Amino acid sequence: MIGAIQKLLFPPPPKFYGVMGIYYFVDDAAKAVTSLRQAGHKQVRVYSPVPHHEIVHALEEGPSLVRWVTAVGGFLGCTGGFALCFYTIYTWPMVIGGKELYSVPPFTILGYESMILLAGLSNLFGMLALARLPEIRPAAPYDPRFQEDRIGIWVACPPDKTGPIEQTMKGHGAEEVQVHA
Amino acid sequence: MSTLTPPAPRVVASAHADPEKRPLTQASLNDDVLKLISLPGKIWWAAFLFDLAVLAVALAAVRNLIVHGWGVSGFFRPVMWAVDITNFVFWVGIAHCGTLVSAVLFLFRSHFRRAVYRVAEAMTVFGVLTAAMFPAIHTGRPWFDYWLFPYPNQRGIWTNVRSPLEWDVFAVNTYLTISSIFFLVGLIPDVAAVRDRAKHPLMKFIYTLVSFGWTGANYQWKHFYGAYLFFAAIATPLVFSVHSIVSWDFAMAQVPGWHSTLFAPYFVAGAIFSGVAMVINLLIPIRKAFKLEHIVTLDHMEKLAKLVLLTSTMVGYSYLTEFFMAWFGPNKAEADLFWFRATGYLWPAFWTMFSCNVIFPLLLWFKGFRRNMVAIFILCLFVNVGMWFERFVIIVTSLNRSFDPATWFHYTISITEIALIVGSFAWFFMFFLVFVRVLPAFSIAEIKETLPPPRRGNGVHA
Repeated sequence: MIGAIQKLLFPPPPKFYGVMGIYYFVDDAAKAVTSLRQAGHKQVRVYSPVPHHEIVHALEEGPSLVRWVTAVGGFLGCTGGFALCFYTIYTWPMVIGGKELYSVPPFTILGYESMILLAGLSNLFGMLALARLPEIRPAAPYDPRFQEDRIGIWVACPPDKTGPIEQTMKGHGAEEVQVHA
Repeated sequence: MSTLTPPAPRVVASAHADPEKRPLTQASLNDDVLKLISLPGKIWWAAFLFDLAVLAVALAAVRNLIVHGWGVSGFFRPVMWAVDITNFVFWVGIAHCGTLVSAVLFLFRSHFRRAVYRVAEAMTVFGVLTAAMFPAIHTGRPWFDYWLFPYPNQRGIWTNVRSPLEWDVFAVNTYLTISSIFFLVGLIPDVAAVRDRAKHPLMKFIYTLVSFGWTGANYQWKHFYGAYLFFAAIATPLVFSVHSIVSWDFAMAQVPGWHSTLFAPYFVAGAIFSGVAMVINLLIPIRKAFKLEHIVTLDHMEKLAKLVLLTSTMVGYSYLTEFFMAWFGPNKAEADLFWFRATGYLWPAFWTMFSCNVIFPLLLWFKGFRRNMVAIFILCLFVNVGMWFERFVIIVTSLNRSFDPATWFHYTISITEIALIVGSFAWFFMFFLVFVRVLPAFSIAEIKETLPPPRRGNGVHA
């Protein structure tokens, strides 16, 4: 029974082609990434329990684009909040003390809260989309040690080109090298 | 496959007698935090069943309120808000600390937050869930609560966006949404660690869903922290706005004791004050029960105690300013009201508030007191009692001593109201007890960032 559930919920992982190096020391992993990229392997994936600055620099990653998604969400939220106030107050006019229907201070409060709400939601969805989450099918062989204290470096390549990558990883102090061919 | 370097030896944390000096490594941190997620023992079950029993009594009280009307709670004109809205403001205040610790201290790069923010965030989410119940019940006909939201309807009626109560609907719901997202997003990497250790396939499946299939890949971390920074940036003004808006529920009315521009900063400081005190009350038993003194250290607790001291002085300053303005200002009703607060028949509530929030926290000036866990646990209990009474004093004394002496009223608390107060704590702790057992109560990923990374170059390794 449990076996059937396991098969249903966790189908066997897809077949991967490439080399996975497992590291303990951060500086070893960063040097390995630099060497692999210098050797022409631009699509290096690094798995780690926490992000390390040295590895981020070695990967030459730019800033996340999620900020633009957040900014657009915030702008839409702010204009939407103000628009809602104006629309509702003129659709259902409640004159109080003979004063004008529009009132900037309360509208600012609702516009402001709407801005934060939509900025937060767009930040969430932007992050999920850009980080390719949820990751239903793994993009590389996964090892639970990546959530503890080990760093994994994955380079996808055809089976006949694993040799130099394996040598580079071993040369930079890999604790373990797994060849998927 | 070839093994080139022998794996680093695993450190056993419990091997050290002094709990503060237990070694902490990346791998042992996983062990220490994830040991909380296990089948609960007898003490947990006893606490949980007791909690549910108390909650059942409170639900019976709510049922009476709904079936028989608000008269059974002793709410009569002019004191129509009484304990319900006292509870609402109290729990919104409690909820403020989580986002303060996770967002504001994140922007200021205060590293001590990493050990404590998950508990604070959980407290925020459960606090808002508790707070939101009270206005919902207070409407008297909770099945019509959806009228509070602006939605198109066949009569063309819209909510009054100029009403402070409508601002509250927007503020509290935005706060609940954003704080929940912040809490759940922060959990993603840690839940992946739980998933990897889950043995039962169903549990593994649930944790896989909650972790969104997180693997810790570089592109995931990049956008995770990119988004986290912006969550912090948008949650910071939200913290200050929400309790300001809650304060304007009162300040927009011309009732003596309420109509003051001081209210927004006064309420925000009070919210942080009570929230941090509640975090201390939650953390001390957890770190002791699960032997986590090396993760949540004395230094962390002392820094939280300093926050309590800081906000206590702000709250005390606000109390004194209120009295000064009442004495100095031209409003006779205001002056009478403040004199009544301190000397009228509700004086025990006022002096409990003042003692617990201003006088007792002065003990925190002493380092020895700040580093004594029993002492600050008891003090923070007093602070929370004091902060509940603060809201009670603001609401009840002002409502029952308004401008017209003909409306003055002798308020007494009813048994139904007491059931609601106790029930709100049972509701909150029901969520919290479950949280501690099913989700990582401490941020594994963020605490790991405070540990020196293993480097061959400088020899730092486990």
